[in-house]
Amino acid sequence: MTTTPLLEVRDLSKHFMVRARGAGRRSTTLRAVNQVSFTLAEGETLGLVGESGCGKSTLGRTVLRLLDPDGGAVILEGRRLQSSHDPALRRAAQIVFQDPYSSLPPRMRVGRIIAEPLLIHDIVAAGEVERRVESLLRDVGLKPEHAAALPSQLSGGQRQRVGIARALAVEPRLIVADEAVSALDVSVQAQILNLLKHLQKERGIAFLFISHDLGVVRYMSHRIAVMYLGRIVELGVAEEVVHQPLHPYTRALMAAVPKLEARRATIRIESEPPNPADPPTGCAFHPRCPIAEPECSSDRPDLIRWLTGRDAACHFALAETSNGTGSGAPPVDTTGGAA
Amino acid sequence: MSDAVAAAEQMAPDASRAGTRLWRGALKSPLMLVGMAGTLVIVAAAVFAPMLAPYDPTSQNLASILVPPIWHPDGTVEHVLGTDGLGRDVASRLLFGARNSLFVAGAAMLVGSSLGLITGLVAGFFGGRTDAIVMRLGDVQLAFPFILLAIAVLGVLPDRHPVHLILVLGIPGWIIYARVVRSRVLAEREKDYVEAARAVGAGSWRRLFRYVLPSVWQVVPVIALLDIGFLIIMESTLNFLGLGLQPPASTWGGILAEGRRNMVVSPWLPVLPGLAIMVTVLSINLFGDGLAALFDPRLRRGGMRRIIPPSPSARAAMAAPSPREEVAEPVTSDGDAGSLLRIRDLHVEFPVEDGTVHAVRGIDLDIRPGETLGVVGESGSGKSVTASAIIQLLDPPGRVTSGSILLDGEDLVRATNRRMRGLRGRDIGMIFQNPAASLNPVLTIGFQMREAIRHVTGGSASAAATLARQVLVDVGIPDPDRISRQYPFELSGGMNQRVMIAMALAVKPRLLLADEPTTALDTTTQAQILRSLADLTDEQDISLLLITHDVALIAEYADTILVLYAGEVCEYGPVDQVIADPRHPYTRALLESVPRIDSANEQLETIPGELPDPRATRTGCPFAARCSEVMDVCRDEVAPPFPIAPGHVAACHLWSPKHVGEASP
Repeated sequence: MTTTPLLEVRDLSKHFMVRARGAGRRSTTLRAVNQVSFTLAEGETLGLVGESGCGKSTLGRTVLRLLDPDGGAVILEGRRLQSSHDPALRRAAQIVFQDPYSSLPPRMRVGRIIAEPLLIHDIVAAGEVERRVESLLRDVGLKPEHAAALPSQLSGGQRQRVGIARALAVEPRLIVADEAVSALDVSVQAQILNLLKHLQKERGIAFLFISHDLGVVRYMSHRIAVMYLGRIVELGVAEEVVHQPLHPYTRALMAAVPKLEARRATIRIESEPPNPADPPTGCAFHPRCPIAEPECSSDRPDLIRWLTGRDAACHFALAETSNGTGSGAPPVDTTGGAA
Repeated sequence: MSDAVAAAEQMAPDASRAGTRLWRGALKSPLMLVGMAGTLVIVAAAVFAPMLAPYDPTSQNLASILVPPIWHPDGTVEHVLGTDGLGRDVASRLLFGARNSLFVAGAAMLVGSSLGLITGLVAGFFGGRTDAIVMRLGDVQLAFPFILLAIAVLGVLPDRHPVHLILVLGIPGWIIYARVVRSRVLAEREKDYVEAARAVGAGSWRRLFRYVLPSVWQVVPVIALLDIGFLIIMESTLNFLGLGLQPPASTWGGILAEGRRNMVVSPWLPVLPGLAIMVTVLSINLFGDGLAALFDPRLRRGGMRRIIPPSPSARAAMAAPSPREEVAEPVTSDGDAGSLLRIRDLHVEFPVEDGTVHAVRGIDLDIRPGETLGVVGESGSGKSVTASAIIQLLDPPGRVTSGSILLDGEDLVRATNRRMRGLRGRDIGMIFQNPAASLNPVLTIGFQMREAIRHVTGGSASAAATLARQVLVDVGIPDPDRISRQYPFELSGGMNQRVMIAMALAVKPRLLLADEPTTALDTTTQAQILRSLADLTDEQDISLLLITHDVALIAEYADTILVLYAGEVCEYGPVDQVIADPRHPYTRALLESVPRIDSANEQLETIPGELPDPRATRTGCPFAARCSEVMDVCRDEVAPPFPIAPGHVAACHLWSPKHVGEASP
């Protein structure tokens, strides 16, 4: 991995105004993404997990400037992005959406859908467009004949491949995959995941891989960032985050995932997630946290490095791991060796 | 809702077959056919008026004025519909009147619809101030009296030209189009494909005209056809008032006005143009309504749920077990008599536009009292359709075509609607993926729970309230009194699902059907809810049919697993055994293709290809085309469920006694 990252996100924030229910009709600010920072190297996959409403999709779209940020900076290939109309941004970074049905224009033929980015950016000469579309279709495992089809004539998996081909057309360095396989059946999901991995290996594309499915994120990612109420609470090497989570929220999340072998997991967090428009003070997780101390409700812990390649936003990141409340996680050696 | 139908629709070619659909629709709806025919005749009359008209519509013949039409005793063959006060041929004038009316109304419609389409697109797409200005202009337009406008513009023009009339009639119509187009654009612009176009660098105008427009313009012709009828009336009105085309032009309104003057001696004179106007507008409206219905999917599908009556052959089949059931016997040999729910050879079909979707093709399953059966499968596997068949609430036009569903020996397929209403909610509880859709949004949680409980138990309101409170506590709601006073929209998805579970369990059903109960929920909420569901069904000895696409959920919460593929059973057995030692290649592939957090899979196994066409008839194993261990026999012969171990079967030729014998001699 190179020294200057492909993507650097610095204190990025995105707020929404929400109208409060009831008589007062007071507007409150929902901090969907709250001062988030991370970097992404060439050819790297950063998995972004969290539950609904944690801001992971908003983060993905704000990075791509499909939403205008309310603070912070996005630096792509060493250039600070200023405008959402920046053609260089649109060529360097792309997105693949969750819903293979709504993400393709229903009345445009597949060939045209893939040709659009080529035409918009004048990527190839007019006479070459058709041939380029064919090669893109092959790259994603479709046949040239599919160019004449309408999206409604394709299956969910095939549509998702078209969406990937459209993203690849501009030869991007970064692809934001926003729940890109969540709507697919498991057998098709595996095909698409392997296709994305293959494309990454071949072309060195970096992925910001957003998903609520921890298994999928673990399979795809080099590093994993866990989001809770608009902030990253843990960020680290994928295998280590999965096996030795530092943050109690990550731990609870891992424990809640249904597993084939270890039946009937024992630890889980009680109570409902808080209202994102009115987050708790201090550490946002403290009302649900099994190891919360009084200071957790007043001081918000910063995301700091506890071990090599392991960041967590918890006052007791290390204390917690060693007292073994988590599903049998071994004590961490402080040099940060792999599990 | 039913994934089989969705799958079939997704495969149905969408290619412009509007023409065929138009004809088929016209044949089905006689009124539309009448409207279409009438419209065609009138358009033809207008187009060919110069050829059809026996006389010049303006040539006067004062020698034969006010000749009555042919059916009148004084009528003549020369003037079929008689002549007017200046001796002009009425038939010729009406034909040219049609020409003028349709031309002016048609041109006005084009003006109004184009203007409306563009303003609607722009207002909806750009929103904000643009939208506000356009829509307020529309409000002013709608409030402004049309006749006043017509008098103000046309009345002061010394020399009226058809263009003036077209503009006065056409322009005010824009708002009708603009409103509908705008609302369609508002829905469309939020869709991911518009966002995706933005991500690849498409500018606003490109997104609007290349992406949004093709998805919204279809509403325009339907409104236009209804609008044109209105415009014909307005055009006639203006002509009647003398604000339209200047004499001697023939217009229906003009003929009507002239006829009025001679009404006493020639009462047919005003009647004839009146009839022409009425027939024209009626034809166009009937045609327009028919078209609207045809292209509005909400009005298309319909019909009642139909269950087959027990045919003699079906009865015979039930009396004498089929060979298939004999092979299936090992499944239930240990709990044969003890099955609460017993499904045998269930077939469910959905007739679709181009064939029949065979959603369920001969499923067998058993649930013992207190057992949790996990049904796993991908979309199109028939898992949800099976659940709908059990409660006899298949989406129309789906129906059970054969097989039996026995609840404690009673066949639900042949139960009356009345009996099924009694069983649903009382003996069979249901929980669906989207709890908010199952709850009434305008009633409080407490009210709905009390009503549901009283409906089943028939007890007092206070007893119902006590029970409701108790079950809310049981499902892990800490403050039931507060929740009871709230409305479904005030609660999270997880809370609503808890309420649904509480409601279903309050009356202690014997069987609970849970169709993807936690798919829409977060992982941590899912764990909480399934835990309490498992505990409660265990405690109360309720049988649970848990349907999900997630094998791991079944591994964690079910006793027995049923693996479905394309409407057929692949494997059935105790969950631990099947997970540890899956025998059907599909089950294996399913387990290996899920990325998990509890095992390091460097490379995921993938199942090549896609699901088979649910409409096709099949020979052999449905998985044969994608199977890594496929043999010749798999393509030709259906694999019956072969016994693997007590209570464990796999419908795969690999485990046929013959193959096993050959493999290990």
